[in-house]
Amino acid sequence: MHVFVARHQTPVLLIVLLGAAVAISEVGGLDALQVTLVEMLIRVLVVVGLYVFIGNSGVISFGQVGFMCIGAYAAGWATAEPSFKQVMLQGLPELLQENQFSFPLAMAGAILLPAIVALLFGFAILRLNGIAASIATFAFLIIVNSIYSNWDSVTAGVSSLIGIPTPVGPWVALAFAAGGILVAHLFQMSRYGLLLRATREDGVAAKASGVHSVRMRLLAFVLSAALVGAGGGLYAQFLGILTVDTFYLSLSFITIAMLVVGGMGSLTGAVAGVIAVTVIVQLLRFGERGFPVGSALFKLPVGSGELGLGLLLALILIFRPNGLSGGKELALIRGPREMMPEGGAVAGARALQDDSNAVA
Amino acid sequence: MTEPSAVPADPTNTDAAELTVDDLTVRFEGLAAISGVSLTVERHEVFGLIGPNGAGKTTLVNCLTGFQAPTGGRVLVGRESTVGWSPMQFREMGVARTFQAGRLFKDMSVLENVEVTAVGLGLGRRRAVERGRAILDWVGLAGKTSLRAGALAYTDQRRLAIARAMVLPPAFVLLDEPAAGMSDAECEGLMVLVSSIPRTFVCGVLLIEHNMRVVMGVSHRVHVLDGGKTLAEGTPAEIQRDQAVLAAYLGVEG
Ligand SMILES: Nc1ncnc2c1ncn2[C@@H]1O[C@H](COP(=O)(O)OP(=O)(O)O)[C@@H](O)[C@H]1O
Ligand SMILES: [Mg+2]
Repeated sequence: MHVFVARHQTPVLLIVLLGAAVAISEVGGLDALQVTLVEMLIRVLVVVGLYVFIGNSGVISFGQVGFMCIGAYAAGWATAEPSFKQVMLQGLPELLQENQFSFPLAMAGAILLPAIVALLFGFAILRLNGIAASIATFAFLIIVNSIYSNWDSVTAGVSSLIGIPTPVGPWVALAFAAGGILVAHLFQMSRYGLLLRATREDGVAAKASGVHSVRMRLLAFVLSAALVGAGGGLYAQFLGILTVDTFYLSLSFITIAMLVVGGMGSLTGAVAGVIAVTVIVQLLRFGERGFPVGSALFKLPVGSGELGLGLLLALILIFRPNGLSGGKELALIRGPREMMPEGGAVAGARALQDDSNAVA
Repeated sequence: MTEPSAVPADPTNTDAAELTVDDLTVRFEGLAAISGVSLTVERHEVFGLIGPNGAGKTTLVNCLTGFQAPTGGRVLVGRESTVGWSPMQFREMGVARTFQAGRLFKDMSVLENVEVTAVGLGLGRRRAVERGRAILDWVGLAGKTSLRAGALAYTDQRRLAIARAMVLPPAFVLLDEPAAGMSDAECEGLMVLVSSIPRTFVCGVLLIEHNMRVVMGVSHRVHVLDGGKTLAEGTPAEIQRDQAVLAAYLGVEG
């Protein structure tokens, strides 16, 4: 029992923390914060999805936001008003054009389609070594963006996809964030998580231990795409309107920044990074709008948000390369150490190293 | 150090009685690292492989474990040809190795390091942990299972590397300089461990080692490489008397 609690406390603590934030904002009637809160919870799901692949494999992927785009549009296609789809999205299959599907079905699509794409794409690139694979994921982001920007009859191109119902509020977003945290936790505790972390630590030694690295990476890549895709599906059904460029460089940057700030060596780090960056960006936005100090108006220059985030990232990389979490997991009870989820404190540093060809 | 406790052996995927290198050649961009080397490691022996730095010892081990494709010649596990085998396939077929550079999974626990091999080879988690504990006990790391591997003392890291290779007993294990950097006393312990492998696990050992006391002390036969070519092969006593070896190698080493 004690061992069981010690093993599984981290996801429970993280979910309770996020749940408390939602409960406080609901009870306190902090409606102004609601949008920020839902966005934060969706990003928790997305960044946890990033962590499943990047954290465990040590391979940086710049492309996961591409899966968010695919998931978001899948949900949009399923749920947008048929009247809109029949006029603007004539390239869609008739089944999609003429019907408006339920939220659960839309989410199923937002999970499955990215997962399938990840399986095909991952199969092609995950046998490349670390840096080459990272660059290929970046190419993937660009490919997804240009397809979705130009395939007018299916995505409405650079104009927006509108008429999506918006059933997603704080509690729904919380439920999905919690689900994502649990999935990520179970994965990292599983035999596949163990083997994948071994490939991150030393790819050559892992092979000598009989570990099929490419398969392990592929599994995590697909799982990651499913979680990130779900984040996209939620986002579509939260905003009610989709634009391709939402899911591009700046979102890719901000989500990776969140993972780095929190620490890519642990699940706690992924969640902490989202919270920390959200809070800081909000404070800077608040500063940009200006607030009175005595009789004067204190106002930060416009653009402070991005600048602040960039600075934060640089400072973290310099002074705390393993992120706020330092690769550790949130825990109240100490169990036998081998039972604890193992944080790779130097996953970040290792992710930037190439697999050495020289075997010695 | 007492005689290591017995660990019951799991059957391996092979009943191969010997590991064979036949007329092996490896060239790197035209430069021959190994030329025409033939040797056979028997399943019941410790086979020493010595030679100065750059002689091609590690390259040979890489060929025997799928990390390096031979330019010419053959590698056989028992009678089976290994052409096109991946490193994973070699391990699955019972050929395990350690690395000169250690290559532990540094940020994982000691137990997890050995668990990876057991799980990687298909064992369930519970069995893998059981086997892992038994093998760590055998190398003398029973009390350190939950430490971070990278935090171990150097000697213990060497022992862990051996445990990781031996966790599901292979048919052959190739140890690349396991005693490098150890004190004499630490070498003693290692010698006991290595020489017990063939009997305990029915596993042949290929031992690369610079420490002559260790190699000559535990090997049944010794093969000497120099500049990628075979210089001599024989019992430790024969090798220590061999004029060519004395001139080319032992003389230099002192
Ligand atoms: N991957 C490689 N590429 C090019 N040359 C290599 C490579 N691996 C080994 N060599 C060369 O092959 C020779 C044998 O090296 P090695 O097998 O490591 O020797 P040893 O283990 O006996 O010290 C050396 O000259 C080394 O520089
Ligand atoms: Mg060597």
